[in-house]
Amino acid sequence: MDTIRNTKKINLKQILSQYGTLFGLIAIVIIISIIKPKFLSIDNIMNLLRQTSINGLLAIGMTFVVLTGGIDLSVGSIVGASGMFAALVAKSENNLPWYVAALVGISVGLLLGILNGVIISYLKVPAFIATLGMLSIARGITYMASDARPVPGLSEDFLKIGGGNIGPIPIPVIILVIVLVICYILLYRHRYGRYVFATGGNALAARVSGIKVKKIVCSVYMISGLLAGLAGVILTSRVTSGLAQSGQNYETDAIAAAVIGGNSLAGGRGRLWGTVVGFLIIGVMNNGLDMMAVSSYWQLVIKGSIIIIAVMLDSLNEAKS
Amino acid sequence: MKHIEKSFYTVKVLNNIQFSLKAGTVHALMGENGAGKSTLMKILAGVYKSDEGEIYLNGKRVNIDSPKVSQELGIAMIHQELSPIPQMTVAENIYLGREPGSKLFVNYKEMYKKAAQLLESLNVHINPRVKIGTLKVADQQLIEIAKAISINANIIIMDEPTSAISDKEVDNLFRIIQSLKEQGKGIIYISHKIDEIFQIADEITVLRDGTYINSWQAKDIDKSILIKNMVGRELNEVYPKVKVPIGETLLEVHNFSLKNKFHNINFVVKKGEILGFAGLVGAGRTEIMNSLFGLEPLDTGEVKMEGKVITIKKSQDAIKNGIAFVTEDRKNEGLILQMSVGQNITLASMKELQKFLIKTKAERKVIQKQIKALRIKVNHPRQLVSSLSGGNQQKVVLAKWMMKNPRVLILDEPTRGIDVGAKAEVYKLMCAYVEKGNSIIMISSEMPEVMGMADRIIVLSNGCIGGELNREEFDQERIMSYAVSKM
Amino acid sequence: MKVLKKCISMLLITTMMVGLMGCSSNDKRVDNESATEQTATADAGKDTEKKIVLGMTLYSLKNEFTVRLANAATKKAEELGVELKIYDGNYDPSTQINQIETMISDGVDGIILNPQDAEALSVGVDKAVEAGIPVVGVNTRVKSDKLTSYVGSQDVYAGELETQYMVDLIGTKFNAVIIEGPLGQSAQIERREGIQNILDKNPDIKILAEKTANWSRSEAMTIMENWLNAFDNIDAVIAENDEMALGAREAIKAKGLDIPVIGVDGITDALNAVESGDMVASIFQDGAGQGSKAVEVLVKAIKGETVDKEYWIDFEPVTKDNVAEFKLRAQ
Repeated sequence: MDTIRNTKKINLKQILSQYGTLFGLIAIVIIISIIKPKFLSIDNIMNLLRQTSINGLLAIGMTFVVLTGGIDLSVGSIVGASGMFAALVAKSENNLPWYVAALVGISVGLLLGILNGVIISYLKVPAFIATLGMLSIARGITYMASDARPVPGLSEDFLKIGGGNIGPIPIPVIILVIVLVICYILLYRHRYGRYVFATGGNALAARVSGIKVKKIVCSVYMISGLLAGLAGVILTSRVTSGLAQSGQNYETDAIAAAVIGGNSLAGGRGRLWGTVVGFLIIGVMNNGLDMMAVSSYWQLVIKGSIIIIAVMLDSLNEAKS
Repeated sequence: MKHIEKSFYTVKVLNNIQFSLKAGTVHALMGENGAGKSTLMKILAGVYKSDEGEIYLNGKRVNIDSPKVSQELGIAMIHQELSPIPQMTVAENIYLGREPGSKLFVNYKEMYKKAAQLLESLNVHINPRVKIGTLKVADQQLIEIAKAISINANIIIMDEPTSAISDKEVDNLFRIIQSLKEQGKGIIYISHKIDEIFQIADEITVLRDGTYINSWQAKDIDKSILIKNMVGRELNEVYPKVKVPIGETLLEVHNFSLKNKFHNINFVVKKGEILGFAGLVGAGRTEIMNSLFGLEPLDTGEVKMEGKVITIKKSQDAIKNGIAFVTEDRKNEGLILQMSVGQNITLASMKELQKFLIKTKAERKVIQKQIKALRIKVNHPRQLVSSLSGGNQQKVVLAKWMMKNPRVLILDEPTRGIDVGAKAEVYKLMCAYVEKGNSIIMISSEMPEVMGMADRIIVLSNGCIGGELNREEFDQERIMSYAVSKM
Repeated sequence: MKVLKKCISMLLITTMMVGLMGCSSNDKRVDNESATEQTATADAGKDTEKKIVLGMTLYSLKNEFTVRLANAATKKAEELGVELKIYDGNYDPSTQINQIETMISDGVDGIILNPQDAEALSVGVDKAVEAGIPVVGVNTRVKSDKLTSYVGSQDVYAGELETQYMVDLIGTKFNAVIIEGPLGQSAQIERREGIQNILDKNPDIKILAEKTANWSRSEAMTIMENWLNAFDNIDAVIAENDEMALGAREAIKAKGLDIPVIGVDGITDALNAVESGDMVASIFQDGAGQGSKAVEVLVKAIKGETVDKEYWIDFEPVTKDNVAEFKLRAQ
């Protein structure tokens, strides 16, 4: 999917502009490793990946949405709602197998995503407003379902989803990789992906070309909701209970990851591997800055600055072409 | 105005134009689409600046740098495309920027009083307190005129002032114009309604292809002379028209109507034929095609393909039935600028290029084929389509649709904004296409082009069919007279 | 030119970050080093070569109480010559678990835990203990029997104290509203238990409404505003902490009323309020004492000394009479 802007010769400028964030990630990793060699230990890397897998799933879903020029502010709340319903089913006393609970959680996410999609593409409510509303609605549902109390006592098997390993690799990481591969294929090797890019680039021209734009727009929110549901299941399993405030504010990191990765919020431009770099940068920063015991107040400042700088670099890139 | 020249980028739109207006008269400015009338007036109104030439007002040389300067000099322009502020009232629109009152506060009472007086004097019965957005277009046009008059301009330019108003209101307008004449004001009147021109104008000037043709006193000429001058050019461009056997009827369009856009449109398209659609801008040609292709709805209408009725409710239906549409505005409707040339070419054919996953090799082959067939100048198919020239971009859009081998290919202004060389190539492609037994519907506002390429021309006039001509009957004046026949 | 700008910006970010990293970690090291030197000379017998490293995660560093706790802990750590890294859990249990994992990878010698949620963080405790790292809980409970020790104050007692104070103040028959902390946090559960104990003893007290304001002043203010509109017979407000009590008081004052309000913690604003009469009293929680003691206990445990399972630090009621002395202590 890498379109060539100036095909005369491969030059440094171009590599830098296209791969800038990747270099940034590598640079940050190197710097942190020098200051804190323990950062590169297998143990820590696995931790890092596990910790970042939740945001990773949300960021991948967000990428689809952002590519069509939309935004999904409700993913944090969907994480909470799905996790809560999964928890309610996963209580040991129910004696239900872990996959039933997981399926319930994912389905809740999918359902909320469909709702978002329909409201945005068929009822023509702007994505910002619709998902902002869903943010509150989903959170409210979560509180109602749990009566604002935590839901503990989940079955052992269910807890393995978020907490377990296969070999040295944490299960959430495996899930993340599988999702990543599927989404990569969907976006780049299937015409669906083409349609998503086309819709985001120029919805009118896409419609003229025979693309069912409304269906495409609806579908990206479904994907976002589904992945948020999956993330919710993993999160709940990791904290071993359904918590009503789970996932609060998670949408910020998801959007940040997509944006840092070079996905334009206007739509039509971006790349999946960019999002991967994006959530890795955020994950590395969270983990690395923690390891270096940078005060949390500074962490907020740094995170915000990185986001602004990343977008700035990206807009320079865009302006050039 | 003397020796006015104006170019946009490399295209010269005005070439040594002269124009003069006497006080107390109505001077009509006439010409085809693209003749340069609006551009010339926009220079006078300060919207554009001429590259060469001088403007004299009352014998003194003036420099009109901006619309504000133009207004201060006493020139008011009523544009063809109205742009009132819908949420503000009539009075607020009239006095926009010139509200009575002090620097801090607007004197609303004063404003409404003045507005009411003004409208009264013009015999326009509209309440100055209503929001202008609620008025119908005709009334909005009247308010525009009132605004121009309230500026106390000495020169009033009216660009198609009667395009949306009824006969009764036209009479009212002419009465107002008459009284303006008596006040010694000068009026420049642009319109395609030839009958009106002869009613109201004292003097007439004709522009053609950006050149000044001639001026006459209205009483000295008649309609046919006017039309002859408007279109009379040497048709010396050779079009690569190939004699292709015309087959039987392929597409039939019956009784297409859409409120306020077009009415009772009937036509057929035959195999192997290039059917031209001529007419003035705004006649409704694009609108008809939009409805035919399923992008816009219809009030009534029936479409038959090879004798069988087909339903087209959305673009996918049309495509399924073998119809393709190369729209007028390639940047906004034809191309995804953020995607590559190759991806744009295959965008409408993705279903065929995919079984389980996209067949990359097959796609690559097909892209190469199209690039070669249409001679698209590109270094690599993965190049961004935005980096191509206008002509090549148009070819990409053509490739996208030609790839699907539609039986009916609709082209809306296919050569607009592209250079001569690319134009020729597009014409050749068109001929090659119909040679295969397909049909092309071509909308064009360039008279020579449509006469050079089409086998038959349907002339649209103000949403209705003005006339139809076969190739042997092609005649510029006839086409033009059909085009203005239903105005 | 534009590309040059980009390169420079990237360089700037990275240097800025390195600078910051260097600064913040250096500061701590510098402080501890000087402290170490002092203790080294003072305590010849101590082994000062391998410095003890502790990690502490609090559910939030964005309120006065927890900051007080953290500061006291830091001071104690300096005194004892150990390094202390502090993490802000941002009200998110998942984040705190992440931080514990990071601390484990980092190879800390001990962890102090102030959890957002009693259930969720038991996983964190398990992980740490599995890695052989002792965990001391502070201020808020976690549902785990693997803690090396717990340093806190008896929240049940706090609930009882404040409710009893209200009874002593206005009698045994009145209408009250209760403003609670985040549901599920041990402080909320236990203080509510304490409040209930006194309510059970006084059946003529009617509770008109109770709701959580998540320790937040602004949330409590909103809730109180709504209650004031819904009920016109509220006689007392019992808040499980000072922030919420102060928020409620704002709403009351805005309506021109004067309903007695009581809270827990004894933060600066509350002490001022008690002094001015805005709050009838506050139950002082010695956060500094807790933080300090937690570090002390943990270091002892690391050094192999025996420690108790629980250390209780008393709650003390603060009234107009003794507020001056508390203000001094809070310095």
